[in-house]
Amino acid sequence: MPEQQEISLSILKKRWLKFKTLRRGYYSFILLIILYGLSWFLPLLINNRALVVKYNDEIYFPVISGYHAGSFFGQDVPGETIYRELKATWKAEDSDNWLIMPPYPYSPYEDITVQGNKMYEAPSKTHWLGTDNTGRDVFSRLCYAFNISISFALVLSTLNYILGVLIGGSMGYLGGKFDLIFQRIIEIWSSLPMLFVIIIISSIIRPSFFLLIFIYTIVNWIGMTYLMRAEFYREKSKDYVAAALSMGQSNFKVMFKHILPNSLVPIITYFPFSIVGGISALVGLDYLGFGMPPPTPSWGQMLDVGLQNISKYWMVMAPVGAQFITLIMVVFIGEAVREAFDPKVYSRLR
Amino acid sequence: MSKNTLVDVKNLSVHFPVHGGVFSKRVATVKAVDGISFSIDKKQIVGMVGESGCGKTTVGRAMINILKYISPEVEVGGSIEYHFDDGIVDFAKLKASEMRKYRSRVQMIFQDPYASLNPRMTVAQIISEPLQLHTKMNAKEQRDRVGWLLDKVGLQPEQARRFPHEFSGGQRQRIGIARALATNPDLIICDEPVSALDVSIQAQVINLMMDIQDEFDVSYLFIAHDLSVVEHISDKIAVMYLGDMAEYGDAQDVYHHPRHPYSKALLSAVPLPDPSRKNRKRIVLKGDVPTPLNKPSGCAFRTRCPIAQPSCAESKPEFKEHAKDHFVACPIVEKKALNL
Ligand SMILES: Nc1ncnc2c1ncn2[C@@H]1O[C@H](COP(=O)(O)OP(=O)(O)OP(=O)(O)O)[C@@H](O)[C@H]1O
Ligand code: SF4
Ligand SMILES: [Mg+2]
Repeated sequence: MPEQQEISLSILKKRWLKFKTLRRGYYSFILLIILYGLSWFLPLLINNRALVVKYNDEIYFPVISGYHAGSFFGQDVPGETIYRELKATWKAEDSDNWLIMPPYPYSPYEDITVQGNKMYEAPSKTHWLGTDNTGRDVFSRLCYAFNISISFALVLSTLNYILGVLIGGSMGYLGGKFDLIFQRIIEIWSSLPMLFVIIIISSIIRPSFFLLIFIYTIVNWIGMTYLMRAEFYREKSKDYVAAALSMGQSNFKVMFKHILPNSLVPIITYFPFSIVGGISALVGLDYLGFGMPPPTPSWGQMLDVGLQNISKYWMVMAPVGAQFITLIMVVFIGEAVREAFDPKVYSRLR
Repeated sequence: MSKNTLVDVKNLSVHFPVHGGVFSKRVATVKAVDGISFSIDKKQIVGMVGESGCGKTTVGRAMINILKYISPEVEVGGSIEYHFDDGIVDFAKLKASEMRKYRSRVQMIFQDPYASLNPRMTVAQIISEPLQLHTKMNAKEQRDRVGWLLDKVGLQPEQARRFPHEFSGGQRQRIGIARALATNPDLIICDEPVSALDVSIQAQVINLMMDIQDEFDVSYLFIAHDLSVVEHISDKIAVMYLGDMAEYGDAQDVYHHPRHPYSKALLSAVPLPDPSRKNRKRIVLKGDVPTPLNKPSGCAFRTRCPIAQPSCAESKPEFKEHAKDHFVACPIVEKKALNL
């Protein structure tokens, strides 16, 4: 029997292998992961502060150390050093001092108050997607907004999932009074006009990333909760749960070791669409002006000023395009995930 | 009650409240089990038969005390007294915390081999779970024990790394048996362990269970909906109807001389190879089983009983010893027997 080398795969592993064969979704997944991973290093990639400066035999790292006045490096400008110009100057002078700029040397926050920036510049070699109504680089803002959008959607979805699994799972598993009380709470809760609640809250308190997450979680936990309640309720009646209970497994272990792994299908297949919902929600709020406080780069805010300056096509196309591409990649992933979890063998997508 | 008794079930009842309306008021009660008594001796096999929905699984679940986890509002009455080597405990009254250490003593094999094994766990994980909970075995000892158990139930120890979906129904039921055996229980409740299997495989699994009973000196409560399955393996047979016990006694006695009209009807439906009994007449019951939500008054069987009398509607028939160790819940047949 030594030749018996068939490998037993868990269902989840099989599905992952299936997912990998669905090219469109798999490549979108890889690409999005890489882009999101890179977006955490944006300050090193897209920034107006130099990465390394060698000045008078000393090495500085302005990206990390932050503000250095222009006079510090012997540059005659008010306020902070303009490293792009400093670099050009030193090069022209053929000086011993040198500095390394990030690959794309514009920050999302520098506007016309920085010497040399102009409003409404059309896309060019220096400003790939032009500049906006305050002279800020559109490409730079777009990239920073990508990180914020995805992070927002991820944190929001994760929080919703945690609440959904904990509350919904307990409702479905414990049943009885607990279930009844939460059902009533949810009914009352879901009849509140939540968009107005959000608008009212954010017009009173100045919203921040985490406040927005908090507000949206308060609104959104219900959907996942109901889903998990139904899952746990169904799984609970299966005999493997009775078997676990009969050997004295605790409720906690039964819920999270036995039932949860069997409720992963809706959790995983729903996740990409939850991300889509999160991204769109933030864009909507930002567009209406109740989202992230300015000058945080955000697609919604860019869309808003873009529409006010509709003749400057790049200001509209950029946020629309970025959103479109991001959302469609997430939808491709969602579609492939759904397909990979489909128990039917045939495949319509490929 | 003999000295050999392992478990003594007295007047066990299981009621599920039904709620309805805006305020979830209690509107009805499902009397799934309605006051039954029987006992199982050490190393004995008691067969329990009855139609679908008569409460067999519920009895089993009550005996391993998991009903209140599954339906928190369940009402369990009566007593389920286990006589373990280290003392007498009543599972119907134990608190959850006190219950834990006795859980290894009573195990269950489930009706549906496809739902009773967690599809996300390997066979090794499934069988070693009770070992982790009830023994201090280390990983190596657990692995050895799992291999040994798999061998005992006729599977290969190498199959331990596989997942349940890679096995047939019969093999899955063997895995379920191995899991139940893991902690050397005193009693295994076998809830229709073969009714989901092909006829050709049923006999194999039953034979395996008999060998195991011999080797492990364990008692079985063997649930089936068909008398012929339990007749030749059981020491005693209990016949249930709609949450009540109709008849309970020595297996051969009940099988060859059934007294309760319901047992007679059940038996007449068994296809028999025995030519001497060919001439018995087939009793066909009229109508459907009533629901346990709305049980007939008096004797629950009276809506279908061929010999029902008006008096049967008045009070619930007493469960009486008609012959030595042979209990029947029907005053009419008792009278008939006396008049003869
Ligand atoms: N958790 C529950 N809540 C409400 N009613 C229940 C519950 N469990 C069982 N019942 C009811 O109790 C009755 C007995 O069910 P049980 O599963 O014990 O029957 P059974 O004899 O095992 O039937 P089968 O042969 O089909 O397995 C049924 O009418 C069923 O609907
Ligand atoms: S008590 Fe009456 S109805 Fe019930 S089994 Fe006996 S004869 Fe039939
Ligand atoms: Mg059953």
